[in-house]
Amino acid sequence: MNKQTKVWLVLAIALSLLALGSACGSKESGTNESNSTSDAGAAPYSGPTGTIAGVISFEGTPPAPTKIDTSADAACGKANPNLSTDHTIVTDGKLANVFVYIKEGSVDGGKKVGDYAWSTPTTAVQLDQKGCHYSPHVLGVQTNQKISITNSDQTQHNIHPSPKNNPEWNQTQANGAPPIEKSFARAETLIPVKCNQHPWMKAYIGVMKTPFFDVSETNGAYEIKGVPPGKYTVVAWREGGADGQTKQMEVTVPANGSGKADFAFGSTTTSVNTSLKVMPALELPMLHR
Amino acid sequence: MSKGLNRFAILVACATFFLIIAGALVTSNDAGLATPDWPLSNGSFLPPMVGNMFYEHGHRMIATTVGLLTIGLAIYIRVKETRMWIWRLGLFALMAVIAQGLLGALTVKMMLPLGVSAAHATLAQLFFCTTVGIAVFTSKSWIEARTLPEETGSSPLRHMCTFALAMIFIQLILGATLRHSAKWDQPLPVQMILAHIVGAAGVTIALGATALSVLRRHKGETFLTRPATIALVLLVVQLFLGVAAYLTRLGSPNDPQPLHPMVGITVAHVACGALVFATTIVLTLRTYRVLPASEAAMEMAARPQES
Repeated sequence: MNKQTKVWLVLAIALSLLALGSACGSKESGTNESNSTSDAGAAPYSGPTGTIAGVISFEGTPPAPTKIDTSADAACGKANPNLSTDHTIVTDGKLANVFVYIKEGSVDGGKKVGDYAWSTPTTAVQLDQKGCHYSPHVLGVQTNQKISITNSDQTQHNIHPSPKNNPEWNQTQANGAPPIEKSFARAETLIPVKCNQHPWMKAYIGVMKTPFFDVSETNGAYEIKGVPPGKYTVVAWREGGADGQTKQMEVTVPANGSGKADFAFGSTTTSVNTSLKVMPALELPMLHR
Repeated sequence: MSKGLNRFAILVACATFFLIIAGALVTSNDAGLATPDWPLSNGSFLPPMVGNMFYEHGHRMIATTVGLLTIGLAIYIRVKETRMWIWRLGLFALMAVIAQGLLGALTVKMMLPLGVSAAHATLAQLFFCTTVGIAVFTSKSWIEARTLPEETGSSPLRHMCTFALAMIFIQLILGATLRHSAKWDQPLPVQMILAHIVGAAGVTIALGATALSVLRRHKGETFLTRPATIALVLLVVQLFLGVAAYLTRLGSPNDPQPLHPMVGITVAHVACGALVFATTIVLTLRTYRVLPASEAAMEMAARPQES
């Protein structure tokens, strides 16, 4: 064996060890970093609360749903013969699947909403794979809150979120397999989830440190409950483009009352409360990527 | 010379070309992470070949076959071939295919990082080039080739071919990086597109000038003119495929899934790129075989080492 051959042999062995190391080192990276329900040192909020509610509209003609070719997997075609795209679900001009959340703001008294400790719900949020389609299409969870992922199909799927601020993971779930439980430790809006076996399957997960978020229903309505009175920047996000489309406005929430924030996609943002102004897009430390 | 060995080498090169197509199908269909494990696919040697598992596991099965064929080729060369440098080339091919398999494993386990995925795609072309080289070196036409008269042109064809080959290889790296820098549902990065277009212009000029020079200087010498003509035709086809691939890829982020026109055309573009590379390798090797080196180079070779 000459010198050149030896060099290549050493390179091949080094590469083998790297691959083995990578294979052995893979771990459940999507699990909790901590199960703590509150920030160390931060006090929970106690006091009067209100709500933020509104309706999401779609202006103009929504794009027609496109039929999805499921011929690559007969089980998908059988379970959902009329499967079509669901990125823009508009009913009577109202838009579903818009993730609305408080981006930042101050509670009456001057404290930032992120300065309080917000407990993590113990109930898991459900994400089902049914008819080769994610249900729901858009969902929100708090940091470290469990997401229970089920497979109701007669075929296997793989769940592959691509976060920017949390560890990426990719896991196969066979038909009939028990639910997979995962969570994300850091706030992130919004994490795309896809199935690499069925590339049309997409979902989006909003991970928030506070409980102040909701997803619009088919009638376009949403409601964020339990909000301390104060002034907030509310953001509405919908899928589209590389990172989604967002609209935002400032909303005042009175004690035991409701602040209203309607959004419109398709053309311009509509604010019902015309006295509200758009705040600078400053990220709270708690939401900082 | 063993006719059987040459035929087997051609078989390995053809299988490798088929493997490149299978790999391109994986990328275009976004099937690279259809299974998170390796070497098993979803914990099985024979998983259900549904959805994108067809492409990902199919690619693994073809890759395994090519790996076994390469082991066979190395053994065949050891048994039949008297030229030791071809045995070393066979060993290199074997190590390249092992490294390629491990890069494939890394790209899955590390969730398709751009550097690893692009390296996997580039090494595929290098491995293909090696198998084509072995097929050329073991061919009857190579062994029986006679030296042609000295070149009459201003630029030695050997140098022109080598330059064109280097340009194509750089363009293959750029293409691999471009393809792996964004999924089908994301827009391609503009800088990478521009770099690939500039690379295409460079290849067109370098390979076009080389092939036309071969046709002009060595009219009637099919040993050289045949690969030059094929390279020229493939280059034109490749340019059209490149434009078509770009146009179909522009609209794909708005598609509900990777659609057939985009998949078919981008895969054809990758495959044609591999053929341009292979044909230029054949042309380059043949120029080195039958055309004398330039006088300056021969003088340098003849001069005793001064160190």
